[in-house]
Amino acid sequence: MLSKWLSRFRFLTTGKSRAQVDEELQFHIDRQTEANVAAGLSPAEARRQAAIAFGSREGARDQCREQRPIWPLESLLRDFRYGLRGLGRNPGFTAVALITLALAIGANASVFSLLDQALIRALPVRDPAQLVVLSFAGGVSGHVHSDGGNTPGHRHEFSYPMYLDLRDKNTVFSGLIAAASAPVGISWNNHSESVPAEMVSGNYFQTLGVQPAVGRLFVSGDETSPGANPVAVLSFDFWKSHLAEAPVTGRTLLINGTPFTITGVAAPGFRSMVWGRVPSVYVPLTMQKTVEPDWEYLHDHHSYWLNIIGRLRPGVTLAPAAASMNSLFRELRASEFTTVHDQSPKAREAFVDRARLNLDAGAKGFSPMRDDVRTPLTIIMGMVLLIIGMAVVNVASLLLVRAAARSREFSVRFALGATSWQFLRQLLAEGLLLGIAGAAIGLSLAPQALHLLIRWMSSGSPDAPAFSAALDWRVLLFTIAATLIASLLFSLAPAMQFHSPRLTDALKQQTATGSGSSLRLRRTWVALQIGFSLVLIIGAGLFVRTIQNLRSVNPGFATDHLLQFTLAPELAGYPPSQVAPAEQRVLDAVATLPGVRAVGATNDDDLAGDSRGGDVAVSGYTPKPDEEFDVELSWVSNGYLQTLRIPILAGRYFNASDTATSLKVAIVNASFARHFFGSPGAALGHHVSRPDRPKTDSVIVGVVADVKHTTVRDPALPTSYTLFTQEEKPSALTYYLRTWQPPDTAANSIRAAVANIDSKLIVSDISTMKQQIDDSILAERTIALLATAFGILATLLAGIGIYGILAYSTAQRTREIGIRMAFGARRGTVIGLIVREVLVLAGVTIAATVPISLLATHYVRSQLFGISNTDLAVYGSAILIICLVAALAGFIPARRAANVDPARALRTE
Amino acid sequence: MPPSTDLLQGTLDLLILKTLALEPAHGWGVAQRIEQVSKNVLQVGQGSLYPALHRLEYKGWIQAKWGASENNRRARFYSLTTAGKKQLEAELANWDRLAGAITLVLQQV
Repeated sequence: MLSKWLSRFRFLTTGKSRAQVDEELQFHIDRQTEANVAAGLSPAEARRQAAIAFGSREGARDQCREQRPIWPLESLLRDFRYGLRGLGRNPGFTAVALITLALAIGANASVFSLLDQALIRALPVRDPAQLVVLSFAGGVSGHVHSDGGNTPGHRHEFSYPMYLDLRDKNTVFSGLIAAASAPVGISWNNHSESVPAEMVSGNYFQTLGVQPAVGRLFVSGDETSPGANPVAVLSFDFWKSHLAEAPVTGRTLLINGTPFTITGVAAPGFRSMVWGRVPSVYVPLTMQKTVEPDWEYLHDHHSYWLNIIGRLRPGVTLAPAAASMNSLFRELRASEFTTVHDQSPKAREAFVDRARLNLDAGAKGFSPMRDDVRTPLTIIMGMVLLIIGMAVVNVASLLLVRAAARSREFSVRFALGATSWQFLRQLLAEGLLLGIAGAAIGLSLAPQALHLLIRWMSSGSPDAPAFSAALDWRVLLFTIAATLIASLLFSLAPAMQFHSPRLTDALKQQTATGSGSSLRLRRTWVALQIGFSLVLIIGAGLFVRTIQNLRSVNPGFATDHLLQFTLAPELAGYPPSQVAPAEQRVLDAVATLPGVRAVGATNDDDLAGDSRGGDVAVSGYTPKPDEEFDVELSWVSNGYLQTLRIPILAGRYFNASDTATSLKVAIVNASFARHFFGSPGAALGHHVSRPDRPKTDSVIVGVVADVKHTTVRDPALPTSYTLFTQEEKPSALTYYLRTWQPPDTAANSIRAAVANIDSKLIVSDISTMKQQIDDSILAERTIALLATAFGILATLLAGIGIYGILAYSTAQRTREIGIRMAFGARRGTVIGLIVREVLVLAGVTIAATVPISLLATHYVRSQLFGISNTDLAVYGSAILIICLVAALAGFIPARRAANVDPARALRTE
Repeated sequence: MPPSTDLLQGTLDLLILKTLALEPAHGWGVAQRIEQVSKNVLQVGQGSLYPALHRLEYKGWIQAKWGASENNRRARFYSLTTAGKKQLEAELANWDRLAGAITLVLQQV
C-alpha cells in the first residue's frame, strides 16, 4: 500500500520522462505513416503527411509537460532562478538594493517591536480581554501617591479601604486586584541591594491567571491584616539573574530589614498588571508599612496609592458593570465624606455628587509609562515608514533604470513569443527575491539593533528595562507583510513602463533623447526621493535643535561638578527615630571626603521628573474663593541650597543654628513669594504650614531664586524648603556633592565612607547632574538620535537613487550631448545643462514638500523645545543639504557625459 | 476531407474516457476510433490529444502501460481506472443534462 502511494507521489512530482513522451509521440507518427502507406501513398509522402497532420512535436511535448501537477511551481522556480542570475550579473545594483532594503526592514522590525510591546500587546495573562482598569473622578483630600498616567476625571489611585469595599461588595467582577510599586532594600546571602518591589493584593496572581514557575504564588490568605503577612514571591527574571535559579521556596530574605519567607517564583514573562513596571519581588499589600516605613496607608481613607484592575465575570459587559459599580462607588464616597474635615455643601458636591467611577477596557493593563512613550514611539514609527517609502522608491528607481537598460533584451524576447505576463512574472520574481533577501538580512540584524536601542534607552537605570529585545510573531508578520507590499510596489514600478503592448517602441526609445512617459516617470522617482528625504532631514534638524536647547537650559543652579546619590536608611531596616541621625552622619562623613566642596541633601530630587506637592496655609494671606494652589514641599539639609548654588534674594540660608529642636524655619522661592506676598522681600517673617497641622508651622527666613525642578522642560514650581531634621517624619534623601574629584573616584570614596558608617546602608543611583539631565530628556534624545540616523540614511539613499537615475538618463543622451558639443557647446555648458535640470526638479519638489513638512512637523510640536516647527534655519539648512546632494548626484554623471569625445558620441547607436 | 467540427471545450476528456471504457487503447487508436465512430465529423487534433491523455493520467482517471501494438510495436496503452469510471458516469450525466437543456432551448424557438 505504502509503496503504491510512494510511486504515485513520485509520478505526480517528477512526471513522465522526456524519453517516454518522445517515444509515445513518435509511435503516433509512425502509426499514421503506416496507415497512410496502407492508403496507397509513397513512404516518403506518407511520412510527410503524417508529420503535417501531427503538427509541432515540440509544442505537443511542451504541452504534455505543462499538464504535470507540479508545473506552476516549476515555472515559478525557473523565474526565480532566472531572476537570481539577472541579479548576480549586476552585483553593484544588487548590493545597493539589498543594503537599502535591509536597513529599512531592520529599522522597521526593531521600532515596530518597541511599538508593539508598548502600545499593542495585551498583558501576558489569562484572557486579558476581560480585564478593566478602574479610575475615578471626584475630589480627594489627603495624600496622593501617583506614578502618573492620570487625566482630568481619571485618577488611577485608590485608598486601601476603598479597594476592600469595592472588592467585597461588587457583583460584576470575578476578581478585583490592586497593586502599588516602591523600591525596597533586600538582603540575601549577606548581599544588600535596592530593587523595585510591587505590593499586590492576595488575589492578584489568581485573578490574572499567572502560574508559579516554582512553589506557590499568593492566595487570599496572604492578605489578612497589616503587618501579618511577611511572605514574598520573586519575579522569574530576578530569580534567574540574581539567584541563579537556586531552590528558594521556604527560604528567608530580608526586605527593609524585615525577614520575609519566599513562597515561590512567578511564571517567566509576567511582570506586572501595570505595563512598564518590572518588579523583582512581590509582597502582600498588608506589608505596606514595611515597604514604605514613611507612610501608613492601610487604614487611611484619604491616602490614594493603589492601582486597581478588575476581571469581569463571564457574560458581563462594560456598560452595565460601570452602572452597577457607580452606584456602589457613590454610596462609599458618601460614607467616606463623613471623615472629611471640610463639611461644606460645596465640598460635599465635589466629593460625593461629582464622584464617578470609570471602567476602561484593560487588556493591555494600566500604564503611566505607555503615555510617556506613545508620542515618541509614534513619531519614530512615522520616520521609519518614511524610510521604508524611501527604500521602496529607491529600489524601484534602480529597478526601473535596470529594466530600461534591458529594454533591448525584453524586445527580443517579446519578438520570440514571450507574453507580457511572462515579463511581469519575471519582474515580480526579481522584486520578491530582493525583498526576501533584504528582509532576511534586516531581520537578522534587528535583534542586535533592538538590543542596542533598549540598552541605550535604559542607560543610567540599574533596573531591568521594560522592553524586551526578542522579536515575536507579530513583528515577524508585520515585517513579512511590509516586505511583500514593498516588493510588489517596487517590482511593479518598472512594469508600468512595459504596460504598453507596443513593446517594439522600447527599441526606438533606446536611441531617443529620453522623452515621453518614461522620462516623466523617472522625474517622479527623483522628486519622490528628494521629497521623502527633505521631510526626514527637517525632522532630524528640529529634534537635534530641541536636544541642544534642552541641554543648554539653565536650570537656575550650577550643574557642573555636581554628583548625586540616594540612600534610604529605612531600606536597611532603620527604625524611624534613627533615620534622621543616620542621614546626618552620612552628610557629615561625605563632607570630609577629599575634593568635596559642599554637600546637601533633599527628599525631593531635582530634574528627576518627580514632584512632591501639597497645599499650604500662609499667615497674612487670604485665599481667593475656590483657590487651589499647590506648592512644592522639599525637605532639605541645611547645606542643600548653598551646594546647588541657588542664589538668595532676601533673608538668609539655613545654617548650623537651625537644629532639630530650634524654631522651625522655611525658605521659599521667588514664585512662592510673588504669589502670596507680591515680592520676595515681603515674605520674610510670615508663617507657612500644612493646613490643619499646626506642628508644621514654620517661619520664613529667606527667599531664593526659582530653579527648574521637575524637568528642564517644565517651568519652576512655587516651592517651600524646610529642614528635614525639623520634620515629624523621616524620609529617604538624595545627596548632592559639589566635588572636584572625577565621578568614578568620588563614587568609590562615597561607598567606602557610607560602608564605614554601616555596611547595611545601600548607596544607589550615583550619577552626575549632567547624566541626570540627560536621563530626564531621554525621550527627546532617543527621537533625536534616530531622527539623525534616519536623516543621514535618507540623504544617502536619495543621493544613490538620484545618481542611479541620472547616470542612466545621461548615458542615454550621449548622442544628444555629442551633437551639442559638435556644435560648439563647452563642457561646462553641458554639465550646467544637466545639473540645472536636476536643480529645477529639486526646486519644484522642495516647493511641494515644504507644506507637507509643515503639516507633518505640526504633529510633533509637543516633542519640540525652544524651537518652532516652522524654524527657518532648520528648513533652510535642510533645503541646502538636499540641493547639494542633488547637484552632486547630477554632477558626477554630467561630467562623465561631457568628457565623451563628440565624434565617438555621434557614432553610438 | 469532410468538414470538421471543433470540439467543445472539455468534451475531449469525455470522448477519451468513453472510448477507453470500451477497451484499452493507445493514443493513435483513441484518435482513430473517435474519428471513425463520429464518421469523420470529429477530428482530434494531435496537439490536444496527448496533453489531454496526460492530464487524465495525472488526475488518476486513466492509467498507462507499455504493451505491444497491433503491428507488434511498443506502444503506450491507456485504460480506465475505477476513479475514471466514476468520472465518466458523472460527465455522461452532466452531458445529458447539458444536451437536454440545449435541446429544450432550441425547440422553444
